[in-house]
Amino acid sequence: MERRGFLKSLFSVLSLTALASFIYPLFKFLSPRAVSARLKKVTIARKDVPAGGAFKVNVNDTPVIVIHHPNKGYIALSRVCTHLGCLVDYDSATGRIICPCHGANFTVEGKVISGPAPRPLKKMPLLLKGDSILIG
Amino acid sequence: MFERIYNWIDCRIGLTELIRKEFKEYYVPRDVSLWSTLGFVTLVGFLIQAITGIFLLTYYVPHPDHAFASILKIMNRVPYGWLFRTMHIVGANLLMIVLFLHIIFVFYRAGYKKPRELNWLTGAVLFVVILLFCITGYLLPWSQLSYWSTTIMTAIPTIIPGVGDYISRFIKGGEYVTGITLTRFFAFHVAFLPFILIVIAALHVFFIWRTGFSSLYDDPEICKKVVIYTGRPQYKDGKPFYPDFFNKYMLMMFVYLIAMFFIITFNPDMFLSEYAYVQADPLSTPLMIRPPWYFLAPYAMIRVIPNKFLGISIQLILLVLFLVWPFLDTGDEKNIRKRPILLGLFSVAIITWVVLTFLGRF
Repeated sequence: MERRGFLKSLFSVLSLTALASFIYPLFKFLSPRAVSARLKKVTIARKDVPAGGAFKVNVNDTPVIVIHHPNKGYIALSRVCTHLGCLVDYDSATGRIICPCHGANFTVEGKVISGPAPRPLKKMPLLLKGDSILIG
Repeated sequence: MFERIYNWIDCRIGLTELIRKEFKEYYVPRDVSLWSTLGFVTLVGFLIQAITGIFLLTYYVPHPDHAFASILKIMNRVPYGWLFRTMHIVGANLLMIVLFLHIIFVFYRAGYKKPRELNWLTGAVLFVVILLFCITGYLLPWSQLSYWSTTIMTAIPTIIPGVGDYISRFIKGGEYVTGITLTRFFAFHVAFLPFILIVIAALHVFFIWRTGFSSLYDDPEICKKVVIYTGRPQYKDGKPFYPDFFNKYMLMMFVYLIAMFFIITFNPDMFLSEYAYVQADPLSTPLMIRPPWYFLAPYAMIRVIPNKFLGISIQLILLVLFLVWPFLDTGDEKNIRKRPILLGLFSVAIITWVVLTFLGRF
């Protein structure tokens, strides 16, 4: 190989290495940070969730809805619609959970009844302790 | 005094000779029309966005606790703040209209055929960059409209199996749209994207300058028999760029400004919904949130096609086709009226886009 060709190749390799060594830190810099493994529990009072009603709370940055169903008891579900991320609301008149963005309908247990949602709502762990409800 | 300044500059850089050679003695083809000025109008539109955006930067605060309040301050307390902010909003939408018309006209006139493939390629990349400007800028007011439109748009990549969730979280900087999303969108909107756009726009203008205006009477043998640059095509039977065509540039620029100020005066809320005036509430999704009108067609396509992944794949394929079109349509014929199949497909594409935009509103 001639000296000029060698220098061209060397320059290309060094430039690509320099670029790659910049791109990796840039990628890590912009990547979302991992969620903390130590998740906090949130406590609400039972009286805050009347029979047939619902209560909204934030649990570990996730909007959650706690529903008090007369037959099924207390259910905690993520309010994030599995379609495109809008927040759902409980309609006590129909007993359904409805997404205001594209009309997805869910049961009180989070199962999809109709609409574009591809998956049920995520169930949140819930524990009844005396007069309190622990979520998370 | 101006003549002295002019002579001082002219002596040093040959301004008179430059104007004579590039403007007065450059003849544009006889078949160019007002439509050929749309590229210049797009450039003017973007300059207005840049200038008004820089003015807004002096008062805007990119933090979820202060962003909406800073916008309210600009609109209600800063002298003429309402004017610059409204120019920025109306300008963004008018820029998209002019941009779409420019793309349609260039396609219709086959302005992508050789030797102008690079003009089209840089123009297509500019189109994508401007869309990214629209996406990032939409979140900055931190209103209910901004927040929830961004939530929906950034959730669309989750449709892609495997990596979709990661891409969505990467764009947002986390699981949900938060202050992290706001600051990164702000950084992209005011720093990264302007830099990228200036570089690509400079290339785009350079290529246009080197290849000249596109005409249906261009020599189809160019770059075929002789594979070296033979200079910008000369159209001695055409019109001088200055003053004839330059006046058309100025006319269309003023038409654009008139349209902008007409909307600002009589219907400044034309492109905003009621939710643009309510601060973002991450715990309450309003009804009927929709993306801006220029994203309604892809939004409707995803909703209309039952398989969401197929819907997004079709759009990515269309985007790639759009970028590489000059390398697919390489025939010599430039007149689309002599190509009925292409004309038919082109018409169907435009009609489909209009119908999908209409459907996306509901």
